[in-house]
Amino acid sequence: MTASLRRVALAVALPGLLFALWWIASDDSVSFYLPPLRRIVAAFGPTWSPRWASHVAPSIARLVIGYAGAVVLGVGLGVPLGGRPRLRAALEPVLELARALPPPALVPVFMLLFGIGTAMKLLVIVSGAVWPVLLNTIEGVRAVDDVLADTCRCYGITGATRLRVLVLRAASPQIVTGMRQALSIAIILMVISEMFASSSGLGYAIIDFQRGFSIPEMWSGVILLGVLGFAMSIGFRVFEARVLRWYHAQRRVRGEP
Amino acid sequence: MRRQILLWTCAVAALLASCSKPKSEGAGSEAKAPPKGAAEPAAGGPTKLTVAAIAIVDVAPLYLGNQKGFFAEQNLDLKIQNTQGGAESVPGVVSGQFQFAFANMISLLLGHAKGLPLKVVAAGNFSTGKAEDFGGIIIPAGSAVKAMKDLEGKTLAVNQINNIGGVTVRAAMRKAGGDPDKIKFIEIPFPQMPGALGEKRVDAAWVVEPFLTVARGQGATVLDWNFADTAPTLMIAAYFTTRDYAQGNPDVVKRFTAAINKSLSYAAEHPDEARAILLTYTKIEKPTADKLNLPLWTPEINRASVGVLADLMVQDKLVTAKPDVDALLQ
Amino acid sequence: MTTASPEPRRGRQRAVLGALGLAGAAALAEIVPRIGVVSPRYLPPFSAMLGALGREASSPAFWRALLDTLQGWALGLAIAVTAGVVLGAVIGSRRGLRAATASTIEFLRPIPSVALIPVAVLLYGAQLRSTLLLVVYASFWPMLLQVIHGVGDVDPVARDTALSYRFTVWAKLRYLVLPSALPYILTGVRLSAAIALILAITAELVIGTPGLGKEIGVAMSSSAVPAMYALILVVGLLGVAVNVGFRALERRVLAWHLSVRTEAAT
Repeated sequence: MTASLRRVALAVALPGLLFALWWIASDDSVSFYLPPLRRIVAAFGPTWSPRWASHVAPSIARLVIGYAGAVVLGVGLGVPLGGRPRLRAALEPVLELARALPPPALVPVFMLLFGIGTAMKLLVIVSGAVWPVLLNTIEGVRAVDDVLADTCRCYGITGATRLRVLVLRAASPQIVTGMRQALSIAIILMVISEMFASSSGLGYAIIDFQRGFSIPEMWSGVILLGVLGFAMSIGFRVFEARVLRWYHAQRRVRGEP
Repeated sequence: MRRQILLWTCAVAALLASCSKPKSEGAGSEAKAPPKGAAEPAAGGPTKLTVAAIAIVDVAPLYLGNQKGFFAEQNLDLKIQNTQGGAESVPGVVSGQFQFAFANMISLLLGHAKGLPLKVVAAGNFSTGKAEDFGGIIIPAGSAVKAMKDLEGKTLAVNQINNIGGVTVRAAMRKAGGDPDKIKFIEIPFPQMPGALGEKRVDAAWVVEPFLTVARGQGATVLDWNFADTAPTLMIAAYFTTRDYAQGNPDVVKRFTAAINKSLSYAAEHPDEARAILLTYTKIEKPTADKLNLPLWTPEINRASVGVLADLMVQDKLVTAKPDVDALLQ
Repeated sequence: MTTASPEPRRGRQRAVLGALGLAGAAALAEIVPRIGVVSPRYLPPFSAMLGALGREASSPAFWRALLDTLQGWALGLAIAVTAGVVLGAVIGSRRGLRAATASTIEFLRPIPSVALIPVAVLLYGAQLRSTLLLVVYASFWPMLLQVIHGVGDVDPVARDTALSYRFTVWAKLRYLVLPSALPYILTGVRLSAAIALILAITAELVIGTPGLGKEIGVAMSSSAVPAMYALILVVGLLGVAVNVGFRALERRVLAWHLSVRTEAAT
């Protein structure tokens, strides 16, 4: 009982301390751009409850759909590429170059090619988030254990079953690593895609506050983004623990950290 | 035991220091900003000033006056800095990065309403108040929209919804008897509006020169001159500084205002030279520069029109209470 | 045991295949707009992009922008790496500190750096410091985490040996912590370098601080589409250069390290 209590206490100790320090340090602030934390917290409710359905929910929806698209595309392309070394060698320089293009720099390109609607925003998210998934899937598929692959061949396991039972399962730790990196990228791109040529969304709202000099509201939006990112990473941790339960158990048995 | 405590304190301090680095830098940069009186000359030399302005048609008098030496006449050494908009130049003036800047009235009223100590020193530019204004609502060729009321339920592109574009479009809609809330506004940067209109990605757009001329060259027609519908001789933008700077450097402000006013009158009387100077600081091409509608330039600040804008801001819920126009223009 | 004969052939084969892939992509980029699948106004043929690239390379404004970008990137990276190494070393060396700071790091890390864009605009406008704010914030976290991991990964036997020989703090750092943390530090620098470049371009594009990102925005506003693509290509090449460069650096520094370790193990 006390062990878990201590763990919780440890988890909230430093954040709580920092929050309190920020509150106290900023309380008498007269700086226009760094208002007292008190005002920011007070602005939270009135700012976001009317905007929840019109700005925040669509943003989260686009994030989820874009992220899902990136995962599907990354795994869908990564599996065949992982299994064909020559194709991989041919595409490697092109993929390296494409990966190095900063997604925010591609936003103007996407605006030209796909207009300014939801499709463009989803494509921006996918274009950046696909890379960690793709590259990690390729690595994971490449590293499938030879013994297991031979065993499958002996037992005549091919096609979709082989994909599901051998390839995907063996590559899943790597794929999940890629998915985790892709999540933080997806959040960043969701915000960026809404800062250009948008009229709704969390990113748009924050920029609009900044342009209208509504500073406490702007900061509340920044904090909300942080909370969103944090909630997503916790949610992902839960997902990872369930999906990779077998893998973590295996490593524990083997004594790996 | 002591070493543990020491280590803990060091770690917390380091974490705090690194976390607060950007914030303290920010507060420091505001405090350390060149003191408001730093623009005064050392000994009889011209006063060095930095003016922030967006590289658009509206500020042609500034460039023209500088070229003609009106600022040098007033013993001012002007450096014109390109900015992207009021959202950037207002904080820049407040922090002392720029001594003066050009911004539209809505941005200034918003900042003023939120408590920023801004002070208008000279007029910027005006709507011509009649047809062939320097900004208007355009529709693509072959559009089904025939009157302002038809815009209900349609998409309309503006560069910023909660700024002068959105406010004046809504005012024009109300004047035509339509419901502005039924317009679907979309924010697109000006340069992309002609393309978006041509591709029928939006049903209408509010543009200013030179994009108005560009779009009309591609077949778009003007549906309405919304600046004229909002108020007669609407003052669109102004040159401003902070109240502290104005109080600390009244002479500099007087000289700057005199130079700007002379530039405004000169540009109004010599439109060809204004068109010519556009080619030097913007990427506008000569054929477009020759055809576009110039804004109205005059040194007389139109207080009444600023009052109209302030009322509209309350009506459009940009602010909760009407901003004190006199305090800003005083 | 020598694998000299299949290795170079395979390497050469890979280079040939890679070159074929690049050529194929370029050909695609040339043909697609020409046959009208996508309007050449939005996707100019590859040759037009190259032409624009040549024009850019001959203008001094381009090189100034490139230097501005590199300056923001390098400075931001240096700050992030230094802060990451110092804080990471302090936090990683004690289990208690790691436990106490874990939740804070987990909360601050996912905050998207782009959320600071409005803050940067208000505080610093379109100046270098805005770029630095974004770059440092984003590149700091991967560096910190890598260093914490590396410092905490010290071999316990070696650590105890150092304790019994009463190594000074400095000696411990030099002979104990640094060698085992070095691979992590270098990986961290590589990750942070890539992130720093992306954020530098983002800051320039969105805020308008001087640099390649700003030039991309300007090209976009002036509808100079081939120039825009050319600049994006330059940024991509820069990113590849950063990646390849740091990976090579890692291999050189760690070649020493790994061989020393394998020697010690045998």
